[in-house]
Amino acid sequence: MALSPLVLPGDPIPPGALPTSSNPSIPLKLGPGLRHIPPDRIVPVVAGELCIDHKKNAVWVETNGGRYIPTAGDLILATVHHSTSDSFSCSISPHTPFASLPHLAFAGVTRKTRPQLNPGSLVYARIALANKHMDPEIECVNPATGKSDGMGELKGGMLFDVSLGMSRRLMMPNPSAQGSMVILDEIAEKVPFEMAVGRNGRVWVDAEGVAKTLVVGRAIQETDEGNLGVDEQRKVAKRLLRDL
Amino acid sequence: MAYPSIAIPGQPLGLSSQYASGPGTHVQNAHICASILGPVVEYAQDTKASSGKTRDSPPPVLSVQRSAQLVSNDAALTNVLPEVDAVVLARVTRINPRQATVAILVVGETVCSDEFQGLIRVQDVRATEKDKVKIFSSFRPGDIVRAQVISLGDQSNYYLSTAGNHLGVVMATSDGGNTMYPISWKEFKDPVTGVTESRKVAKPF
Repeated sequence: MALSPLVLPGDPIPPGALPTSSNPSIPLKLGPGLRHIPPDRIVPVVAGELCIDHKKNAVWVETNGGRYIPTAGDLILATVHHSTSDSFSCSISPHTPFASLPHLAFAGVTRKTRPQLNPGSLVYARIALANKHMDPEIECVNPATGKSDGMGELKGGMLFDVSLGMSRRLMMPNPSAQGSMVILDEIAEKVPFEMAVGRNGRVWVDAEGVAKTLVVGRAIQETDEGNLGVDEQRKVAKRLLRDL
Repeated sequence: MAYPSIAIPGQPLGLSSQYASGPGTHVQNAHICASILGPVVEYAQDTKASSGKTRDSPPPVLSVQRSAQLVSNDAALTNVLPEVDAVVLARVTRINPRQATVAILVVGETVCSDEFQGLIRVQDVRATEKDKVKIFSSFRPGDIVRAQVISLGDQSNYYLSTAGNHLGVVMATSDGGNTMYPISWKEFKDPVTGVTESRKVAKPF
């Protein structure tokens, strides 16, 4: 893969960098980090790598780090802080306003059967509404189908903090190929575990026993902090499994 | 009893048997008392045409003028306080899933010298499908809204309603910073970027 150009906010985009799709009828899609100034200017607003997908005719800026900004449709891990009369107040990221999770936004719940979530519980939820004017709202059910789609309370296990870029890599359809994440495949050969990743930079891991849970969590965190390549990830996986 | 030229709140001005209570005053213990600080004026009430019955002319009205009214010498100037069923123009200051907080700027045709705070509850945004209203699709902070006062409310807020075709957002600015124009009862369009945003739109004519 060719080295993507680095852009700073306000830089003009090099003319050859925009994807030229073979199919001219697909409109150019602008992803995060780019803003369209009509009529014909595209300007990056964050610093990072300019990434291109020729097949989907999409262009975006890849940055790592910073705080998570809630966006509608994202799957996140939220911790319940307290309950009000008709919703739970959940924390998505520290030092930000709470998101509200309505009592009735769960699968198979009625006014008589309310979910029992104590303060401190972890939920896997989707952001229903997020904008700069109001506090975010989250839900644990798909409002169209009424199914939970894997969302809901997560019991047991342990929560780890990772960078936003790492959580995006883990949530790719094929992390080992697209995101160079092979360490989890290596560990999964020896240690069975369950994992949930939230786009707000949180990962929940559940395995048999604290030691195994910690191995998985440490693996992800070391890959993230050291920005490890494929070979280094294999070395770390071997070291962590040997100590088990 | 001679009334004072400047009254302070609570000061008795006259007997309620001799005078009628006008704007800025209230009746307490059979006395007309001032409610606000200001100069006291007396004027004759408008006598309505009576149907043949001869009556004594109604008693003169005692009122305390607000500073905004001192500019004009017309003692019978309409009060700038919002009353129930008054149509007001307000700017949205804050939104919340349950209500929108607004600052009332114009009451009827008079611009208020200072703003009053009002609330538009989510069930008062529309007349139909009240439980499906989303405040974010009806108002945004900064919008100018035409609303009707439904209640004088409590110490901090008037209660307003936009349930009506002629009520709703009158002027709105898009996310891109351009003034938008209405295209239907629920959408505004930004002419520069072409993006539409949803609001509860007031009928423009």
